[in-house]
Amino acid sequence: MSNKHLFLPSGFIRTPLQNGLGRYIPQLQRITLKFCKNHGGSRGVRDFIETDLMEFAKTNPGTVVYLKPRRHRYPCMVAEYLNGEREYLSCHEFSRAEIQKWLSYMCTRSGIPVMRFRKYQHTDYPSIQGVWNPFTHQAPEINVAQFPHEILSKPVDNGPTATDQLIEIFKKTQIKDPVKPEH
Amino acid sequence: MLITRVLCSRTPNADGFWKRRRVFKLTAHYYGRKRNCYSIAIRYLHRALVYVRKSRKLKKRDAVELWQQRISAGCRELGSSYEALVRGMARCQIALDRKTLANLAIWEPRTFKSLTHIAAAKLQREPIKGLNDFSPPPAGVITRGML
Repeated sequence: MSNKHLFLPSGFIRTPLQNGLGRYIPQLQRITLKFCKNHGGSRGVRDFIETDLMEFAKTNPGTVVYLKPRRHRYPCMVAEYLNGEREYLSCHEFSRAEIQKWLSYMCTRSGIPVMRFRKYQHTDYPSIQGVWNPFTHQAPEINVAQFPHEILSKPVDNGPTATDQLIEIFKKTQIKDPVKPEH
Repeated sequence: MLITRVLCSRTPNADGFWKRRRVFKLTAHYYGRKRNCYSIAIRYLHRALVYVRKSRKLKKRDAVELWQQRISAGCRELGSSYEALVRGMARCQIALDRKTLANLAIWEPRTFKSLTHIAAAKLQREPIKGLNDFSPPPAGVITRGML
């Protein structure tokens, strides 16, 4: 099936600045948790803040955590990444475990938008010997050749053509020593 | 109360909305009424699904044909032929598939050239009747009796 019905941008897999090749830098810059202190839908968020938030903050020292208690508002989290992308997620009626899972998902993402990968491999150096170009297998003498050249200016000899071969066959069928008719 | 008529009446299709939704999700990128009207969309969707099914084999076939064309072109430039390369490599027990060979011809041209030389050297020692569509390998090909 063509993937047009998904309305999802497609692209090639990439990481920002070859993250992970040397040192891995978590791409999550800040995470904002908005919740209500009273409403029932924020219960999961409140439980998470009371129990797991400090541990999360300690394990992710590079990420800033903001809490926004707002009355009569549904809970949500907004993740902002080092490349400027923002990701919004509504946490209404989420359980504490669900919020933990979504938070870890936000942490492990880079800010590159969700897209359909065309290939699951990427390399910045696809060729070691050098990509083929029309001069790869040519002799380097043509660089300094003066044209018209006695060898290079001639057409390529591919052997006898079909016409030549037919002429040869015809000649073989001819009588070699024709006897002259005597009158 | 006359209940016969009530019992015999059929309930409307409870799955109607969801059945149509399944179709519209797949036809969302179509033009005009083909995208929004069920009885029109379903016809085009059926054709699309048939094409998807058929093209799974065709895609593989097209890819293989493309690789073969590229290998053949690469061989011809080097004075060999696709048949000579493939049969020579088979006799040397080099089992590289067409995808790899095509990629080598593009990205690692010197490796590809050396493969053509190996195949030509093998065919020089063990010629195949009727296959002479390759030029002999240059003097620099050293086999040390390994072929």
